[in-house]
Amino acid sequence: MSAPKKKTIQIEAFRHRVVADPKYAEKTWNILEHAIHEIYNHNASGLSFEELYRNAYNMVLHKFGEKLYSGLVATMTFHLKEICSSIEAAQGGLFLEELNRKWADHNKALQMIRDILMYMDRTFIPSAHKTPVHELGLNLWRDVVIHSSKIQTRLLDTLLELIQGERSGEVINRGLMRNITKMLMDLGSSVYQDDFEKQFLESSADFYRLESQEFIESCDCGEYLKKAERRLNEEIERVSHYLDAKSEAKITNVVEKELIESHMQRLVHMENSGLVNMIVGDKYEDLGRMYSLFRRVASGLVLIRDVMTSYIRETGKQLVTDLERLKDPVDFVQRLLDIKDKYDKIIGSAFSNDKTFQNALNSSFEYFINLNSRSPEYISLFVDDKLRKGLKGVSEEDVEIILDKVMMLFRYLQEKDVFEKYYKQHLAKRLLSGKTVSDDAERSLIVKLKTECGYQFTSKLEGMFTDMKTSEDTMQGFYANVGADLGDGPTLSVQVLTTGSWPTQPINTCNLPTEILSICEKFRNYYLGTHTGRRLTWQTNMGTADLKATFGKGQKHELNVSTYQMCVLMLFNNTDRLTYREIEQAAEIPASDLKRCLQSLACVKGKNVLRKEPMSKDIADSDAFFFNDKFTSKFFKVKIGTVVAQRESEPENQETRQRVEEDRKPQIEAAIVRIMKARRVLDHNNIVTEVTKQLQSRFLPNPVVIKKRIESLIEREFLERDKGDRKLYRYLA
Amino acid sequence: MGVQKDRIKFNVGGRVFETTATTLANAGRDSYFGALFNDDWDLLHSNNSQEFFIDGNPECFSILLDLLRTGYLHIPSNVPERLLYREAAFYGLINHVRSAKWGPFNGNRLRYCKSVTGRAPGDGTAIRAGPDGGCAVAHGSMVHVFDWMLEEHPPINLDYQRVNDIGWVNADSVVISTCERLGTPDGGMGLFTSSTGELRYKFNVVHGNQTKSFTAGALSFSPDYKIFSSCKGRSNEYGIGVWDQVTGKQIDFFYESSLGDADKLQWLNGRNCLLVATLFPRKDNCYISILDFRQKRMVWSWSDIGALVTVDEKRVRDAIAIEETNSICVVNEYEDLGFIDLRMEGGGVRWSSRSRLSTGNMLDEPCYPKLALHEGQLFSSMNDCISVFCGPDCVLTSRLRRSDGGSICDFSIGGDRLFALHSEENVFDIWETPPPIL
Repeated sequence: MSAPKKKTIQIEAFRHRVVADPKYAEKTWNILEHAIHEIYNHNASGLSFEELYRNAYNMVLHKFGEKLYSGLVATMTFHLKEICSSIEAAQGGLFLEELNRKWADHNKALQMIRDILMYMDRTFIPSAHKTPVHELGLNLWRDVVIHSSKIQTRLLDTLLELIQGERSGEVINRGLMRNITKMLMDLGSSVYQDDFEKQFLESSADFYRLESQEFIESCDCGEYLKKAERRLNEEIERVSHYLDAKSEAKITNVVEKELIESHMQRLVHMENSGLVNMIVGDKYEDLGRMYSLFRRVASGLVLIRDVMTSYIRETGKQLVTDLERLKDPVDFVQRLLDIKDKYDKIIGSAFSNDKTFQNALNSSFEYFINLNSRSPEYISLFVDDKLRKGLKGVSEEDVEIILDKVMMLFRYLQEKDVFEKYYKQHLAKRLLSGKTVSDDAERSLIVKLKTECGYQFTSKLEGMFTDMKTSEDTMQGFYANVGADLGDGPTLSVQVLTTGSWPTQPINTCNLPTEILSICEKFRNYYLGTHTGRRLTWQTNMGTADLKATFGKGQKHELNVSTYQMCVLMLFNNTDRLTYREIEQAAEIPASDLKRCLQSLACVKGKNVLRKEPMSKDIADSDAFFFNDKFTSKFFKVKIGTVVAQRESEPENQETRQRVEEDRKPQIEAAIVRIMKARRVLDHNNIVTEVTKQLQSRFLPNPVVIKKRIESLIEREFLERDKGDRKLYRYLA
Repeated sequence: MGVQKDRIKFNVGGRVFETTATTLANAGRDSYFGALFNDDWDLLHSNNSQEFFIDGNPECFSILLDLLRTGYLHIPSNVPERLLYREAAFYGLINHVRSAKWGPFNGNRLRYCKSVTGRAPGDGTAIRAGPDGGCAVAHGSMVHVFDWMLEEHPPINLDYQRVNDIGWVNADSVVISTCERLGTPDGGMGLFTSSTGELRYKFNVVHGNQTKSFTAGALSFSPDYKIFSSCKGRSNEYGIGVWDQVTGKQIDFFYESSLGDADKLQWLNGRNCLLVATLFPRKDNCYISILDFRQKRMVWSWSDIGALVTVDEKRVRDAIAIEETNSICVVNEYEDLGFIDLRMEGGGVRWSSRSRLSTGNMLDEPCYPKLALHEGQLFSSMNDCISVFCGPDCVLTSRLRRSDGGSICDFSIGGDRLFALHSEENVFDIWETPPPIL
């Protein structure tokens, strides 16, 4: 109600205005100064905006801008000093609240002052290069209040104390904290940084340095990581609640450095709870936490990776050099697969499928698998085992999974050609004995090998399958043509194997029994009649036979034996006793094979259709053998296995090695010629590198061998040494 | 009820106006009305039935209220523009007036707005449009600065040395480049506050730790606050100097004697390079080069040395790079446009016959053609008119000519206005695009 009255009085003042009045500027300023006082004293409701605005306008218009501006600075400074002492007087916890309240007051006052002085702000200030009113208000607040000696340190200490309190579990007024930090930000990011952030980061570093020391003495690795993670999240949350967003990176940096980086080594290697223990105990959660925390720190992941790698290498090396384990190749390979699965799972679930970790895993496997030169053989044996019996009753998808895993191990092999060699042998045995479980699985693996290593690698393996199929057709043709003439004689099944595709060795055919010999002859005539220009050689070491035998008490059995065993047993049709020498003479079977087949006929319990004198495990040249009249078996069909060497014996292994080395020679030579044909002239070192590069998908050629092959090529005049530079080779077209 | 509360009555200098708070809200917070309606000043809210007195000019208030209502500015002939501007400044509405006065620049819709006659004795040298619609005009050794209201500010001079080029750093600062006075540190380059004409700082050329006096020529600016100028000193200080706009300190110098006399510098934003053109008749031949200061070398150059002199002897009189088409547009004294491909070295000028204009009326004092570029539109001045070319093929689309104007010695586009400076009369013209009506 009193407002209109006041207004009329002020309009009176206008009427009295005389521009020529020498005290005009003074009077006008007094009105404005009074208004500023009233604004700061919360008495603004009685003020007339119109009047004040026009007064300020007139002062600027009549060139009293400078007076207006300096008056403003003085008046505002006066009020801020008052505010300052009232904040200083605030007791204890009320300090921040008082500061916050006064800050809000000042902001409101500043806005009103700016409204009145808007014309000055727009015209006088830019041309006189003065600080605009709003900025001036903030600067004065900063200089007079925040930087006052009694407030500056007290403010900082209070803020740090409150944060420290919150860290130790107290509940603090986050809204108030936010207002205060926002005030510091409003005063300029440098104020926030210099008056708060810098010390905040320092005190945080001190705090976490102490705390981490305490943790590491009292906690195990997993527990420590949990605490570190919690602290990190707390700090991030703190920033989002009441600090400037830009502080997040800085404070997390501090926490990372103090809690993680400083103790990284100790944590990873911590006894009974470090990285290796986590891996052994499959502690995915702890591993995942370690990964996500260490990732924040430079070289953190490198440390984890290095420790993991050396652990894998060490345990892998132990595995592949453990002689006990090597006795069972299938178990050996299964163990490799289990290790791989374990680490795959760790990397997948804890290390977020980090590529660098996968690479480290692969290189570790490559490292230790190749430490054992028999790994290719064992992997092939594992496949053999699976394809012979292991895959029965397993679904097609699971078969694929197993084969894929085998392929993965295969990829780690450096000597892929050795694997090929063994694989061929084992495949041949499976095919010829008809032991393979699933044709699809066999072919699927060959397709995989083909995609991995190319057509050349598998062409012979595929040839073996073709031979099997053709042989089936040939046998049908044979019986259709000559079946009628055969009468009651034994039935023959021939598999015609292409030379080169199969792992055959030149072998002396043993003496077959006459009954068999005649039908063999008939087949030979039939086959050579239909295919001209071919030669057939009997591989008597690879065949099998089914024999019908009658034992004492008229017990009849069907014996499933090898061709060699058949030859031996047939000799007993005429007599009951034969000495080793007699058998050897009659059958002409190679001594080692003969001994092995006699062993299986006479020394295996339940399968002993022969009896040996003296009774012992080993066969001596002086032994005598008898037809075992008393042989019994609850089965009608008795399968007499050969005592097969599952693993190759040492000499056999040497032999395979040698053959592999032989096979490598032409490949190395071919590579050298290919390279030289393209490059014409090349020096020795470069040839070696190029050859190694070309062949490494199959094997790692030995530089010495490459040198020998080059020499051999020079001898055969494919290459010559350069006459000027002896290190250079030239290709001779 | 809302309607009732919304209504406001003003008594301005005795005339009563009634309007709504919504209309006044268009003035924005940073204005008289914005502050008046802020909650801190709770006068009006308690007694909104009463009229509110303002000691102001009712005519102007009515124009400004109309501007707030409609966004359209109409100044009746009986109201002096200066009076309106002053009233607008009181209410904090000067920017509203400015943006309503003319529309966004379009070369094909320009209307002649007004001519300003200066007081300078000599012929005009250069005119440069400021970013907010003002301009600076150089006559001899003086630079006259006008704001967008065409209000003249105190003139600028640098030791009263002959002015070679002017440039606006921002709406409040102008750089001028002048000749040196032999044997004294006078002349060179200076940065001035446009509204007061006060010298803020002079730019120095430092060579071998010694500050040298120099003559500053053509100017150019880059968005990262650098100033470029062609410089001519006494000994070795020929080339392009680079200064920081904020600190005024020299930050680089590209020594190359042929560049010290350049007629034109143009900063190429896309390439981060500077185009330097030195043209006939300042030199016997024309040289255009592009400098890359990051690599500190000339990355492209062209010259007409050795080019076949055609019958009508086409000499390049001005050049401007058009980055969108990777070419440099040049013009000869017959106002034929030509193009040089920037993507290859050593290419020739492809003169465009289509752009050839019928030669206008030859004036007593012909002026060499000048080129300017604005948002894809190419402008070329020749004698008493300015031609506007559009599109990728630079088709002539408009021509600006004033019936009684003399020949145009320089023109400039900026702040959505085009300024054309006449050589013999001491006059410049302002061309504007009218604001759209509905």
